[in-house]
Amino acid sequence: MSESFTQACAHVLGDPHVLGIIALTALYGIFMGAVPGLTATMAVALIVPVTFFLDPIPALAAVVTLEACAIFAGDIPNTLLRIPGTPSSAAYADDAYALTRAGKSQQALGVCLTFSVAGGLLGTAILLLFAPQLARVATWFTVAEYFWLYLIGLSCAVVVSRGSTLQATLALVIGLLLSTVGLSAVHTQARFTFGRPELYQGINFIPAMIGLFGVSEVFRNVLRLNAQPEGPAGEFVVPASAGRFRLKAELQTGGDGWWNRFVAGPVGMVFGPALVLLWRRKWHALRSGGIGSLVGMLPGAGADIGAWVSLAASKRFSKKPQEYGAGSLEGIGDATAANNSALAGAWIPAIVFGIPGDSVTAIVIGVLLMKNIQPGPEIFEKQGPLVWSIYVVFLLANLILIPVGFLAIKSGGYVVRVPRRVLLPLILLFCVLGAYAINGSYFDVGVMLAMGILGFALERRRIPLGPIVLGIILGGPLEERFLQTLTGAQSSLAAFFGRPLSAALGAVCILIWLFPLVPLRGGRRASGQ
Amino acid sequence: MLLCPWAAGGGTDQVSREVAALLEQELDVPVNVVNATGGAGVTGHTRGALARPDGYTLTMVTVEINMLHWRGLTSISPWDFEPVGLLNRDAAAMFVRSDAPWETLEDLGRFIEANPGRLKASGTATGGIWHLGFAGWLTKIGVAPSAAIWVSINGAGPSLQELIAGGVDAVCVSLPEAQSLLDADRIRCLGVMADGRLESYPDVPTFKEQGVDWTLTGWRGVCLPKGAPPEVTARLVGALERAARSENFRTFMQNAGFDARWEPPQQFAETMRQVDEQLGALLTSDAFRSLHRSRFGPMFFPWVLMAILAAVFIGLIATGGFKRAEDVEPLIGQGLLRAAAVVAWVAAYLLAVEWAGFVLTAGVLLAVLLRLFGSRWPVAVGVSAILVPLTYQLFAVSLRVPLPQGWLGW
Repeated sequence: MSESFTQACAHVLGDPHVLGIIALTALYGIFMGAVPGLTATMAVALIVPVTFFLDPIPALAAVVTLEACAIFAGDIPNTLLRIPGTPSSAAYADDAYALTRAGKSQQALGVCLTFSVAGGLLGTAILLLFAPQLARVATWFTVAEYFWLYLIGLSCAVVVSRGSTLQATLALVIGLLLSTVGLSAVHTQARFTFGRPELYQGINFIPAMIGLFGVSEVFRNVLRLNAQPEGPAGEFVVPASAGRFRLKAELQTGGDGWWNRFVAGPVGMVFGPALVLLWRRKWHALRSGGIGSLVGMLPGAGADIGAWVSLAASKRFSKKPQEYGAGSLEGIGDATAANNSALAGAWIPAIVFGIPGDSVTAIVIGVLLMKNIQPGPEIFEKQGPLVWSIYVVFLLANLILIPVGFLAIKSGGYVVRVPRRVLLPLILLFCVLGAYAINGSYFDVGVMLAMGILGFALERRRIPLGPIVLGIILGGPLEERFLQTLTGAQSSLAAFFGRPLSAALGAVCILIWLFPLVPLRGGRRASGQ
Repeated sequence: MLLCPWAAGGGTDQVSREVAALLEQELDVPVNVVNATGGAGVTGHTRGALARPDGYTLTMVTVEINMLHWRGLTSISPWDFEPVGLLNRDAAAMFVRSDAPWETLEDLGRFIEANPGRLKASGTATGGIWHLGFAGWLTKIGVAPSAAIWVSINGAGPSLQELIAGGVDAVCVSLPEAQSLLDADRIRCLGVMADGRLESYPDVPTFKEQGVDWTLTGWRGVCLPKGAPPEVTARLVGALERAARSENFRTFMQNAGFDARWEPPQQFAETMRQVDEQLGALLTSDAFRSLHRSRFGPMFFPWVLMAILAAVFIGLIATGGFKRAEDVEPLIGQGLLRAAAVVAWVAAYLLAVEWAGFVLTAGVLLAVLLRLFGSRWPVAVGVSAILVPLTYQLFAVSLRVPLPQGWLGW
């Protein structure tokens, strides 16, 4: 093992070629993740032709770095403009954007970055230490267990949302109903398509997400375009001085030299409070990373559910649950830690059994096969150095995220200084582009617009939007698993509790429903809603 | 561009991307892969068949085209395409867990016959290609397909996961899809539905060797929309044949475990016709149709949801949770006009972009909206003139998002 490890280090760290690729793909990944509509999967698929010409290790390095950077970068538009760059950011869109409106976008993004890196490193550690054991756990999951898991994810989305449980449930059910449009996966029969072939593909969640969050925010803003003093004032702007002064006091960095102004100041502002928070909440971060890895390694679950479940756990055990949904740094930290550790988790079944944990690892398996490397239990003996190289690359990818992510946060900072009368039309153009880019379909742009109007109308009634997105994503799989369990058991409902694991997960799910009713009411009264 | 009706990362996507890269070298023009997914393949195939037949839109057609029209899901059939060349054929194979009691195909068949309704199998959604393979085999050995329960699970990966988790007892998918689990000795292959043993898997017996005259193969091939000019088709056939016969492609296919096979247009059309007949006979048979009647129809889940929605809605109205919040701007006057302008803007973009191209449409519309929201004309025009071409360069040229070129042709 140690021999493989030294070999792996030599392959990765000793090769300027590999390091160069990591740096390049980091920038590319940040960009792809930051533009809504361009997903990590798409970014990876685009570089696959390039990986044909690379050796296995640089090829894998490119994919891993890309993924780690893209999922963090999804937080940037999520925080600055409330448009989640990746679906897993949608869990804390309201929290992060609330902080931007309070002029704390840099701190919020600092927390996203720091916890992303922490989560990513933790996920790597779990991958490194427990991959074969955990992969065995993943193979216990049958359709009944998945049904409960999806239901837990959906319930968590209701639990974490601001507003009443009923309002969040309404959002969730709307999302689930939207997911039934199109060809039903189980019956392969058309539903709610009104004979239109475009509707067969159903409502894609990426344009829906861009519409619900981005376009509805444009609507909300155009209503009050003149209500506030024009120019670079208004809510998008960061009152930089306030934040910096407080930080200076915290960090004891005095002086006005260039070092302080351009390096220590900004770095302290982004990382300072985040590191303090990370240190105070190290056990919470550990829990979040653990949740992320466990959920991530289950094929078909992935980072989205990870972020939501972790956020719900975070809120459940928090001393200040009323802050969640209104700008809670704790919640953001826990959720981003989970979605980054979920990435490494998805590699567990991929490496050990060749079963992809998510769409990116599906492509990775293809790349491995192309290089004549067969994933499977023997890969640890046959390809020891390669497996260790993957681990080392994961570590490096998360470390390079620190400087690259910092630069991205700083350049993102300029976006919020653009006056809104210029920014809003640009946001709208990029919403249209993002919705179109995912499938190259104009119909998706129409979906985006319709969802924008729906999101706008619902927000005016304080209905949270996050559960709608998760409902659209998980509605199909939930229905599938439900009906599959029933067909397998010849329509007996006992199948859902038939195995020890499914019974346990079912119990967890029911607990989530019963448990938070009491404290949630208290929290609502406290926040005056 | 090359339309791929299946998701990024899947087998068809991998083949599409490899072919696109090779065609790009052959034709010296960029070939983008566009994943037009969803609707069990309906979306991608429909888009491909209805595309402008100018030779710029190719489709990676898969065996599902032989099934969709029989099931009434689309009016698009193989005859709406102009075949260019067939690239690969993959035979279905039957798998069980390695600790399962069935050593041969015959064991499994006898078990199903003796214990109707006991065995659970999967591999794809109900009515999918591998389901047909399974049901066809049962029909061939004289067992009603309804004697085994088909659990409708989308995709080979999740089906195999279910197999090793113990949720189903047998899985019917193609061999390369199951390779790593086969190597890991978690599952056993009972036979492959091919004419002869496969090169990459010489140890796996065929169904024919085990006394069942049943074959079923999926295929992938490149097609143009019907009505493409003959000289364009001829040029593409040449380029595709060189790509398919290239060393690069053959190694790729072999490594990925796909059975590479080149068939020129006429032979490809004949293959499509044969498979279409075989699958059509199966899909329209009474035995198969009866499988589709299940207790939980497609509207079961939506009805449950609608009931919940109604209950939640009533609850919200009763508790006053559906009232508009107090602190929102009223939707009147100028604000309403601007909101309407946003809707009109997107509509105008949709109407104009295919015709005038992205750069012109987005440029003009962006400038107008900037002006409408209060920027001065020079700012509005300046911002559009710089940002829109930059965006186009980045998205359409570097990232290969198929933005329409329009009049400028850039």
